[in-house]
Amino acid sequence: MMALVKRHLALYFDNKSGVFFSLLGALITFVLYLVFLKNNMLASWSQLAAPQKLLDPWLIGGTLTVTAVTTTANGLNRMIVDRELGTLADLVLTDMSFIGIQFSYLVSAMIIGTLMQLIMFVAMVGYFNLTDQFVLSPAAILPVMGIILLSSIVWTTFNLLILSFVTNLDSLGKIGTILGTSAGFFAGVYLPIGAVPVAAQNLMKITPFPYNAAIYRQVLMADQLKTTFKQVPQLRHQFEQTLGIGIQLQYLTSWQENALILVGFSVIFGVLTLIFAKSSRRKAINKV
Amino acid sequence: MILLTATGITKKFDAKTAVKQIDLTVQAGQLVAFLGPNGAGKSTTINLLTGTIAPTAGTIEMAGFKPDNRQYQKQIGVVFQKSVLDNQLTVWQNLKSRADMYQGVTLTPESELITAFGLTSILKQTYGTLSGGQRRRVDITRALIHQPKLLFLDEPSTGLDIQTRTVIWQTLNQLRQQQGLTIILTTHYLEESAEADFVYVIDHGQIIAADTVEQLQVTYAQSQLMIETDYPEVVLSQLAPEWRVLQTNHQLQIALPDDQQAIALLTKVRSVVTHFEFRQGNMDDIFMALTGKEIR
Repeated sequence: MMALVKRHLALYFDNKSGVFFSLLGALITFVLYLVFLKNNMLASWSQLAAPQKLLDPWLIGGTLTVTAVTTTANGLNRMIVDRELGTLADLVLTDMSFIGIQFSYLVSAMIIGTLMQLIMFVAMVGYFNLTDQFVLSPAAILPVMGIILLSSIVWTTFNLLILSFVTNLDSLGKIGTILGTSAGFFAGVYLPIGAVPVAAQNLMKITPFPYNAAIYRQVLMADQLKTTFKQVPQLRHQFEQTLGIGIQLQYLTSWQENALILVGFSVIFGVLTLIFAKSSRRKAINKV
Repeated sequence: MILLTATGITKKFDAKTAVKQIDLTVQAGQLVAFLGPNGAGKSTTINLLTGTIAPTAGTIEMAGFKPDNRQYQKQIGVVFQKSVLDNQLTVWQNLKSRADMYQGVTLTPESELITAFGLTSILKQTYGTLSGGQRRRVDITRALIHQPKLLFLDEPSTGLDIQTRTVIWQTLNQLRQQQGLTIILTTHYLEESAEADFVYVIDHGQIIAADTVEQLQVTYAQSQLMIETDYPEVVLSQLAPEWRVLQTNHQLQIALPDDQQAIALLTKVRSVVTHFEFRQGNMDDIFMALTGKEIR
C-alpha cells in the first residue's frame, strides 16, 4: 500500500497550484484577520491587557481548522479523479485489494492534512512571533500535534462522506469551492461564534467545525488565558463563550469533551459513508 | 491448449444489449483479433473478459478461475484504450508504483521489459510530455509488468505512426515467441488483424464470423479483376452467372473465386481489353462481405 500512498502524495505535492488552492481558504482567513478583523477585535477587547496575545493564537486555532478541512478534501479528491479517469480500473488489476486501494486514499489524505496543518502552524507562529512577539508555550506543542492528527482524521472522514455523493469531476471543484468558503464561517474565524445569531450558532454546533477550532484554541491559549484573566476572572467565561474557546452546550465544553465530540463525529461520518458509498468494486470502476 | 473460454456471454446496459450470446475459445500462445466497426461491442467484450464488468449472462473461465478471481487477474495484463497512467509523474515513477503493487515483482531501470520497449532513455521524462507512441510503449510495459500469460490490447495502435506500430509489434512478437504470451486485441485496422492467428469479426454485439485469416479469405474475400474495355458486352458475355460485377462506363470490376479463373477470362477477352488490374482479396473485402459496410 505504501507504493500507492506515495503515488497519491507525489501527485498532490507535484501540483503546486493545487497545493496553493487547497490552502486558499486558510490563507483568506489569515489575511482577512490581519487586514480587517484584528483592529476591530482588539478594540472590542481593549479592557484586557495585551489582547493580541490572546487573539493571535485564537486566529491560529481557527485557521488550522480551515486548513484541515480544505487540504484533506483536496487530498481525497484523488479518489474521485482516479475513478473518473479510469485509473482505478487499472489499479484493481494489481494484487492490491479494493479495500486496500480505498484505504490508501484515506491514509494519503490524512498525511496531506497533517503536513499542511504543520506548515501553516509553523508559518503562523513564526509570523506572530515576529510581529506581536507571540511565544508559543513549549507545553502546547505536543497537544497541538495530537490535535493536528485528530483534525486530519475527522475531516478525512467528513470529506469521504461528502465525496460519496460526487459522481463527476465537475461537481468536485464546486464542492471544493463551497467547502473552502464556508469553512471559515462554520469554524467561527470570519466572525466569532458569539457574534452570529443563535440560529446560526445552533447550525454551527451540529458540525465538527467549532469544536475543532475550540480545542485548538483551548490548548494554544491556555497559558495566556490564565495570565490575562488573573485580574478580571469575571470576564473570562464571557470571553471564551463569545470567541468559541469551548462551545456552549449546557455549559462550555472542555478540551476533553471537544476531543470526544470530534471522535464521535468521525465515527458517525465513517458509518454513514459505509452506508452510502459505492462499496462494490465493479460499481466503482464502472461508475454505475 | 485452451487458455480461455467464454460461453454465451451477454451484456445488457439497461435496454441496450451491447453483447449478445458470444462464445469464444482462446488457445494459449495465439494472437486473437476482435475486428469490428466502432460501437460493435469489441470493448464491452474486452471489459467482460478482463473482469471490469460482469456479464448479464454466460460464463468466462481461465484455468478454472472466473474473471473476478484474483488468480485470474494475476494472469492478465490490460492495455486500456484510454491511457490510465499519471501525466504528472515520470515514466519510472508510474511503472515503479505499479510494480510495487504486485507481490514478488521487482522492477529496476535495467529490467528486460524496460529495455525491450526502448524506455531507458525516457524513464525520467514526465509521462504527460511523451509522444503518443512513447506513451503506448509505457502502457504496454505497465500491462506486462507482472508477466501475465494473457495480454489484452484495446485498440493499441489507434493514432500511432507506422514506425511506432512496427516497434510495438516486433517486441510483442518477440514476447510471444520467448514466453508464449497470448494476446487478444481489438482493432479496426485490417492490416493488424491480418497478422492474427484467429479472428472474430464482431458487429452489433454478435460474432458474425470466427476463423483463421486464411479461411476467412477463402470464404469471404474473392479476388478482384478490373477490366477496362470499349466493348463491355463482350466481356460480360464470358462471365459465369455467380460472379458479382460492378460496371461503370468502360470499366468492369469482377469478383472471382481464384487466380486461374481470372487468367482464363483474360485469355478469352484479350482482344477487347485495353487495361486490367488484378488483386487478391484482403481483410477489407472480408469485412465488406460480412458487414456490408466499409470499416468505420
